[in-house]
Parts: sequence; C-alpha cells; structure tokens
Amino acid sequence: MAQSKPVITLVCERAADLNSLLDSKGNLAEMPDVHVVKFPCSGMIQPLMIEAALKAGAGGVIVCGCQIGDCYYREGNKMIRDRLLGERPPGLKKATDRRRIMALWLSRMQKQRFIAESKEFIYRVQALDIQEGISAGNKASANPAPTVAAKPAVTAPTAAPVVDSSSTSTPTAATTSAPAAAKPTIRPPTTATTPATEKSSSTPEAESDKTSST
Amino acid sequence: MTSSVQNESNDNWLKQGYNHFIDIANKITLAIEDGINIAVTSKYNPLYYHGALPQFYLWVLFLSGLLLFAYYVPTIDNAYLSNRLINAWTSVQYITNSIPFGGVIRGIHRYAGDAMVLFIFLHAIRVWFTDRYRQYRWIQWVSGVVLLLMVLFIGQTGYYLVWDERSLLLTRMTVSALEALPIIGAPLKAWFLNGDTITNLTLSNFLFIHIGLSFALLFVLWLHYVRMTRPVITPPPAVNFVLVGILLLAVFLVPITSGKMADLNSQPNTYEVDWFFLFNYWLMSHMSLAVFWVSMTAAAVIATILPWLVKNVSPPVIPAEVVISKCTGCSLCYRDCPYQAIEMVPAPAGSRFKLLATVNIPRCSSCGICVGACAFDAIDLPQLPDANVLSEIKTFAEAK
Repeated sequence: MAQSKPVITLVCERAADLNSLLDSKGNLAEMPDVHVVKFPCSGMIQPLMIEAALKAGAGGVIVCGCQIGDCYYREGNKMIRDRLLGERPPGLKKATDRRRIMALWLSRMQKQRFIAESKEFIYRVQALDIQEGISAGNKASANPAPTVAAKPAVTAPTAAPVVDSSSTSTPTAATTSAPAAAKPTIRPPTTATTPATEKSSSTPEAESDKTSST
Repeated sequence: MTSSVQNESNDNWLKQGYNHFIDIANKITLAIEDGINIAVTSKYNPLYYHGALPQFYLWVLFLSGLLLFAYYVPTIDNAYLSNRLINAWTSVQYITNSIPFGGVIRGIHRYAGDAMVLFIFLHAIRVWFTDRYRQYRWIQWVSGVVLLLMVLFIGQTGYYLVWDERSLLLTRMTVSALEALPIIGAPLKAWFLNGDTITNLTLSNFLFIHIGLSFALLFVLWLHYVRMTRPVITPPPAVNFVLVGILLLAVFLVPITSGKMADLNSQPNTYEVDWFFLFNYWLMSHMSLAVFWVSMTAAAVIATILPWLVKNVSPPVIPAEVVISKCTGCSLCYRDCPYQAIEMVPAPAGSRFKLLATVNIPRCSSCGICVGACAFDAIDLPQLPDANVLSEIKTFAEAK
C-alpha cells in the first residue's frame, strides 16, 4: 500500500462519523493514504473538486453522504448523487474516470462499513493503476485498450486521446466523441464505482450484488 | 463575578445533559432508520416521509369527510319536519348501517384522524431528535405546533358531531372549562354553543368549526411549507397502499359504533377515552380547571418557543456569500437551495449578465449546497471557502 496513489475522501460531517478514525493530519489512521475532507453537507461537494483531486494525481475519490432520504439539510446527498450521475448540473466532465469515484451513503454509526468499503475501493483503484501501467508502457504511446475492455459503457472517452495514464483527458476531446459516456449503464465486472451511487450502498443487498458481479 | 461563574457552570451542566440526551436520541433514531432501510430500502422507508404521512392522511380525511357530509344532519331534533326523529345521531346511524360501505367510510374517517395525530407526533419527535426545527427552520416548527393544536381541536369537534352520550358529556365539559376562564370565558362559551344553551344551532356550529378549521389547516400548511423548496408531501405509492391497508385493517377489525343517543335531560358521566384526541378531557377530569388551563397553556407556550430555548447544540449559522464579480446569474444555486434562501435579482448596471444571486440571510442554513451547485466559484461559505478545500485536496494528492 505504500506505493499506492493517495485517495481523497469528501465526507459530510453528519454522515459516517470518522472523527475517531483520523490522525492529526486528517488522514485515516488505519490507511494514511486516505485523506478526509469534511463538509457541512455532502451537497457542498463540487464535481470540480473531484476532478481536481484526480487531476492532481489522486488514485480515487470517495464521496460520503448520509443515507439517501435522510439529509440534515433536506436534499444535499440527493443533489451530489444526481450530479455524479449527470442528472443535475453541474456534473462531472465526460472524460472523468468514473471508476475512480465511489459514493457511499452511510449514517452516523456506519464507520466500520465505511472502512470496509474504502479498503475494497482502494484495491480496485490499485488494480486499475496496475492495469493502466501495463497497458500504457510509456506515456508517449498511451494505449488504453484494456481500460476499454474493462469498461464497455464508457469506451468513447477512454478511446479519445488520453494524455495521462491517470486518465484525466482533455474535456473537449471527450465531449465531441462521447454522448453516451455520461451515464455508464452497464456495470463493468471489476468495478462498482459510479453505479454504486445509484443504489444506497449502505444496504447489505448492495453489498451482495456487488460481490456477485465480481 | 462568582455568581456569574456559578450560573455558567449550572448552565453548562444543563446544556451538557440536554446535548447528551439529544445525541443518544439521534443515534437511536438513525439506528432504527438504518434497520428499516435494510428491510425495505431507503426509498420506501416510511420514516423518510415522516412529514408526508400526516399530509397523506389529511387527504384521506378530506375525501371520507366529504362523503360523510353528504348524509350528515347537524341537528338535535326536527320536531317541525316529520314524526320520525331525524337528527345528528340518527343520521350517523343511517350512514353506518344503511348506506353501502357507510360504516367503512366512517371508520376510515375516525382512524385516519387517529393515525394523523400519531404521525404528527412521530414527525415532531423525529425533527426534535435530529435537531431539525431551530434557527432557519423556526417557522416550520411554530406553524407545526399551531397545526397540531388545530388538528386536536378539529378531532374533538368530530367527537361532538356524533351526538351520542359521550358527545353530550364532552360538550358539557368543554363549556364548564370555558366558563372557568376569566373575561374571555363567557364570549367563548357563547361562540362554542352558538347561544346560551345546547340547541340545533350548536350542532351546526360544531359542523362549521369541524369543516371550516379543516380548510384553515391548508393555510397553515402553506406557512409550514413556504420556505421549503420541493417539500416532500407525498409518500411513494407503495407506502400509501400500506398506509391505507393498515387503516382498512383497523376499520374491519374494530368497527366504529356510536353510544346511546344524547339526551339533554340525562347526566352521562362515563365515556371511552380516545387517547389520540381526548387525552385533555381525561386530564380535565383529573385536576382542577385552573391547573388544567395553566398547564395546557404552559405546554403550548413551551412547545412553541422550544427552538429558542435550545441553543448551541449545533454551530451558529454563518450565511453563504456571493462573489459578485464571479456570479453569472445562471440560477443553479437558486434552483438547488433547499430553503429558498437565494433570490435572483437584476444584475448591477455594467454587468455582462442579466441576473445576480443574492442570499436571504434569515433563511440561509449555511449547508453549502449552493457551493456544490456553483460551477463558477461564485458563492462561498465564509467558514469553509471552496478555494481552501481545493488547495487541501491538491496538496495531499500531489504530496504523494
């Protein structure tokens, strides 16, 4: 885990209570590669922040809000969920690698669940890094073919010129080529990233669903 | 100096105790909701529609009440009409026994009222335990207390309308309670009975209060919802079916019946208490009227001012600020604000844009949803500017 990329967690301070899990620098004591940024409400999280984190070299971003249906400020978690799914502006750029984003909807007591999901997510992100490292070889001849295979619904943006192996491509290239890319409808076998935002991943059904698809 | 320190520590002790209680209550509430989510998923969790449940039952009451109103006769007697007695009690009997499904409609009307009160209390307790009734939400809380009192009174007038022995007893108890009030007691009694004694006009007054106040509920409900963007007032259809199912189960298992017809010459003194509506009559018969009125008034006043009694549980609200030079007037924050705290006004002269977002400070909850809605960094929470968040994210991501 030492060589892995950092993971940013953007969390509502009323959702999963991570205070007891943090060290003095705001990282998870158990997983120092995970940095936690707290917000008054998950609705404050801008898609821009997620894009900035990935662009700055983060391996993945975890968004954590309260259970859908329960928001102290009424609608915040639904707002960020809809933004991540591209159903409410402003959304993520089409080229943003959705596999590196996970949304969790957890109530205050569910910090153990947060740890478990985060560990799984970090493994997935690391697997992506390895996959992309092999396929890219060197950066000059970046060939994202395996990524395409792993993620059928989002072929277009990754097929568009990907400059960096951390897969933040230029937005113009993506927008011109991929109208269907905004919503990955088919769940790739190795990931449950953006689709996890569709269902409340705080229920055991979501968990079993996810494991069965692997 | 010492006394003020003393006061402060007392204050802290009380505050800490209260905060501890709310903390535990909050955790229990959330744990129950998590459990329900596991069973039925969050989409169908009735506790996520706690405010919509009484609203749903209000529609049920309006509809069933309309059907009852078609056959109800608000009189005590009709000596001048026919030799067969037709009054409130007999018309209720006719509805219950002769009209197809009349008894079912009557049962629905009764039990939906009970359910509404039950869910209003559930709603109130949940917003209390989750601390969602203070500051920018005070208008919802105060209008909610008014709504509850109105609903309780409307329900009680419903019990008078049946005009059985219980109705007569409740009417007399109300009259004696009103008479005990100084100054306003006599006029209130005259208003309540629509005269000095119980007459035909009394029953028509009861019917007017019952129906008129029910429609007045709609006005207070408007106040209840006015600062809410997209208020959740309709549970999902699946939940509605379950709610109606529970109602019908109660209707068929425990059918509603009237007592004996009220006789103005009799002195009934026992009655069956409906704990949802008639608990204050139970209190009235167990204490002196002075104690009753003082305690009722005190309870109502404390319930109303509760949002201002409780302080410092959550941090004070620091409203969001618009960066005028960056705002493009795109209205995204205006659309997403859950409290209608953002108003779009014409942009100042010389601006390239037509509109400018402004924050209505008393309504702002400082939740930051507008920040999440803004793609131009044009709105910010002063205590947590998004530029700081971005630099924190970048610093950590690049350090590795």
